[in-house]
Amino acid sequence: MRRSSNRKSSSASAAAGSGSTKAASKEFEKIDHLFNVYADKSSAIIDPEGIEQLCSSLEVDYTDVRILMLAWKMKAQKQGFFTLEEWRTGLKALRADSMSKLKKALPELVKEVSRPTDFLDFYSYAFRYCLTEDKQKCIDIESACQLLSLVLGTQFGPQVEKFTEYLKSQSEYKVMNMDQWMGFYRFCNEIPFPSLENYDSDLAWPLILDNFVEWFRENQN
Amino acid sequence: MNAQSQSQSQSQRRKNFKIEAFKHKVELDPKYAERTWKVLEHAIHEIYNNNASRLSFEELYRSAYNMVLHKYGDKLYSGLVATMTAHLNKIAKSVESAQGGLFLEKLNHKWADHNKALQMIRDILMYMDRSYVPTSHKTPVHELGLNLWRDHIIHSPNIQARLQDTLLDLVQRERTGDVINRGLMRNITKMLMDLGSSVYQDDFEKPFLDVSASFYSGESQQFIECCDCGSYLKKAERRLNEEIERVSHYLDAKTEVKITSAVEREMIANHMQRLVHMDNSGLVNMLIDDKYDDLSRMYSLFKRVPDGLSTIRDVMTSYLRERGRVLVTDTERLKDPVEFVQCLLNEKDKHDKIISTAFNNDKTFQNALNSSFEYFINLNNRSPESISLYLDDKLRKGLKGASEEEVEVVLDKVMMLFRYLQEKDVFEKYYKQHLAKRLLSGKTVSDDAERSMIVKLKTECGYQFTSKLEGMFTDMKTSEDTMLDFYAKQSAELGDGPTLAVQILTTGSWPTQPTAACNLPPEILTVCEKFRTYYLGTHSGRRLTWQTNMGTADIKATFGKGHKHELNVSTYQMCVLMLFNSADGLTYREIEQATEIPALDLKRCLQSLACVKGKNVLRKEPMSKDISEEDVFYFNDKFTSKFVKVKIGTVVAQKESEPEKQEMRQRVEEDRKPQIEAAIVRIMKSRRVLDHNSIVAEVTKQLQSRFLPNPVVIKKRIESLIEREFLERDKADRKLYRYLA
Repeated sequence: MRRSSNRKSSSASAAAGSGSTKAASKEFEKIDHLFNVYADKSSAIIDPEGIEQLCSSLEVDYTDVRILMLAWKMKAQKQGFFTLEEWRTGLKALRADSMSKLKKALPELVKEVSRPTDFLDFYSYAFRYCLTEDKQKCIDIESACQLLSLVLGTQFGPQVEKFTEYLKSQSEYKVMNMDQWMGFYRFCNEIPFPSLENYDSDLAWPLILDNFVEWFRENQN
Repeated sequence: MNAQSQSQSQSQRRKNFKIEAFKHKVELDPKYAERTWKVLEHAIHEIYNNNASRLSFEELYRSAYNMVLHKYGDKLYSGLVATMTAHLNKIAKSVESAQGGLFLEKLNHKWADHNKALQMIRDILMYMDRSYVPTSHKTPVHELGLNLWRDHIIHSPNIQARLQDTLLDLVQRERTGDVINRGLMRNITKMLMDLGSSVYQDDFEKPFLDVSASFYSGESQQFIECCDCGSYLKKAERRLNEEIERVSHYLDAKTEVKITSAVEREMIANHMQRLVHMDNSGLVNMLIDDKYDDLSRMYSLFKRVPDGLSTIRDVMTSYLRERGRVLVTDTERLKDPVEFVQCLLNEKDKHDKIISTAFNNDKTFQNALNSSFEYFINLNNRSPESISLYLDDKLRKGLKGASEEEVEVVLDKVMMLFRYLQEKDVFEKYYKQHLAKRLLSGKTVSDDAERSMIVKLKTECGYQFTSKLEGMFTDMKTSEDTMLDFYAKQSAELGDGPTLAVQILTTGSWPTQPTAACNLPPEILTVCEKFRTYYLGTHSGRRLTWQTNMGTADIKATFGKGHKHELNVSTYQMCVLMLFNSADGLTYREIEQATEIPALDLKRCLQSLACVKGKNVLRKEPMSKDISEEDVFYFNDKFTSKFVKVKIGTVVAQKESEPEKQEMRQRVEEDRKPQIEAAIVRIMKSRRVLDHNSIVAEVTKQLQSRFLPNPVVIKKRIESLIEREFLERDKADRKLYRYLA
């Protein structure tokens, strides 16, 4: 009984397999086609040049945060490059297989990202995306400031403005690590600004934020 | 006595000689009852009139007995009450009429009489007391007598107030110096107590306490305006003792605690602050002037009142802290660290003596002293260095000729100061440096004293603290043995060369000094190389590096007119001087080139050879105080000294210069980082998850025997450990840290 059912199921799965590849290739056909428009012919990967072209097609700026969001949706590993797998992942999730559909999907994407749980994931992704070297764990302060403005600028404008001002004015920290990056987001969410009334440096806030708060309070006077 | 009343029954039962209980009442004729009562009434009168001797106890007892037996108890009792009352009223009038001082005497006298009477009456009426009184719930005779006395005499309107006034007046007179009849007073107060403690309290004790309180309130106000603290306390003590004595002589014992607390409240508690802070005579002045008696008195008096001792303690603590703060921030005094530490020790001794002599060795005061010292010693971050310098001075020369006990006493006292230090690791670094210099220059007063100090440090801080110090001692001994062996084996080869004495220091045990090699004179170099060969021959796998900045040399020098002197110099100085064997004059640059001694050291070296009066074996042109790179140096032919042996170079432990101090500080901070991290990891490994404050508290506790970690530094270390993935922030509660295995 089992054997026969096995055979049946295996044959069934075989049929499904072949069917799915057909369906798959059909499914990704348009997506792949769109990929090839921007991909480099020799490496079969979209490189920074290709991304620039993609941006102009999408009518967004190269430095726009929506590209970052797109990279996030694609789960892209390397900054400035999209592989075919990543492209497929992203566009499938966005249910876009043409440039017009992709364009239309962008506002939806923005909305999706701003949901708190998704945003947290996006926020930490943004940091990791900037770690270009293999064992790199930190990004330099200049880049961190830019990234903060890009990613949190709309949501927590005043905090970002002050924090980046502080970062640029001090010389103790030359880089920022993931812990400090995540700490700042938590700071924006939990501590009222600009009163900072319930900030307690005896709790486990990263030291860089303790120093920021001290600097901020001093400069207010 | 029973015989007569039972005669009737007995006559009826003569046949059966049995003693049986009564079976029928024996009726007493009421007239007989009245007659019986009259007998008793008369007796009571006689008793009160002191005519009791003519009465027959037996007859009276029998009469009373009969009355009770025949159910005339009521009559007997009420008759008793009436009779006694009548007598007491008469007595009251008699007492009232007494004039002045005789009032109390009369009262006392009458009271004694009354008691005697009462005793007799009670004896007579004993049967009533035992049978009628309980069953009819009446007051027993004795108590009745007392109550009646109380109601009709003591509480009689013409007596009550007068009695109270008289008693209080006598007390007042005694307080102002008169002598009063204490025996009489005692009797009266005892009388009141006998009448019931509430009588004593209401009629005497409460008013007594009130009057006393206002008396002492007034007196204390008066004293405090005109007396200094010491005199005031003497007066208060005297008054307190007086009251205690008063109670023991003529008041009830239970009054003692009440009157003493009234005196304590009025004379001490209410004026505590003012006394303690009194200008020129308060607590602080007493401390400064070692007024043991006054302090002792203050302690025992203030002990009696709530917050008394804590008041003294708090004022003492803030005084000590301030005094200490002034001491440790006095820049003039700090110029001489040995003096500075001696000062601290003297302060400690002084206050120890005060606490043991005047404050009964009270542990809470000892603690206050310790915490004050701990507070101000750490206000100055040069304290660890100063204490090490003090020890250095003592171990070099200060303890010369001292007995073993004297040495122990001094070292123990210094250990007390050491315990107060928060930065014990800084002390360790300095102590190591200073010890190294002492050992290498051979300038230690006693090996035993040195070792004793190490043992004390080990006991206090553990093996880790002292293992390197002990290593230094070992090296010294080994070096001695090595030198003996070297000369034994190599004497033939060495011939007439200079005598070498090498101290081989194991790197790691000794404080690291940056080695700047210099060019040794050829004859020195030769013998040094011979030693190196010898040593490496017996100890393969080791590397020797000459520490030219730490050695000394004895040189024989011949000056003009053939004057010979033996110069004791540092190695650098020797290198410079030897150059003048082949030249009379050399420029700075020539010396620098030939010796390759680093500039700062060379300048110091030349200064000590050319610019110090009495030691100027070199002459400098120009004759300025400082060494410049254009100077020229000449062998000073004209050098003279009354000593044959002249000591020019000493490697004495000096107070560090600013840049050296900064460098030391940095090294200390660097060394602390791994210690903090190790503590964090240890704690997190055992606790797994912990919040920030707890980690800071635990780390501080673990490291407190070495130094006080800065919470900011701890946080930085934690973050570094997070980055290196030893720890992480807990995902659920980001106020917690989690150990990553």
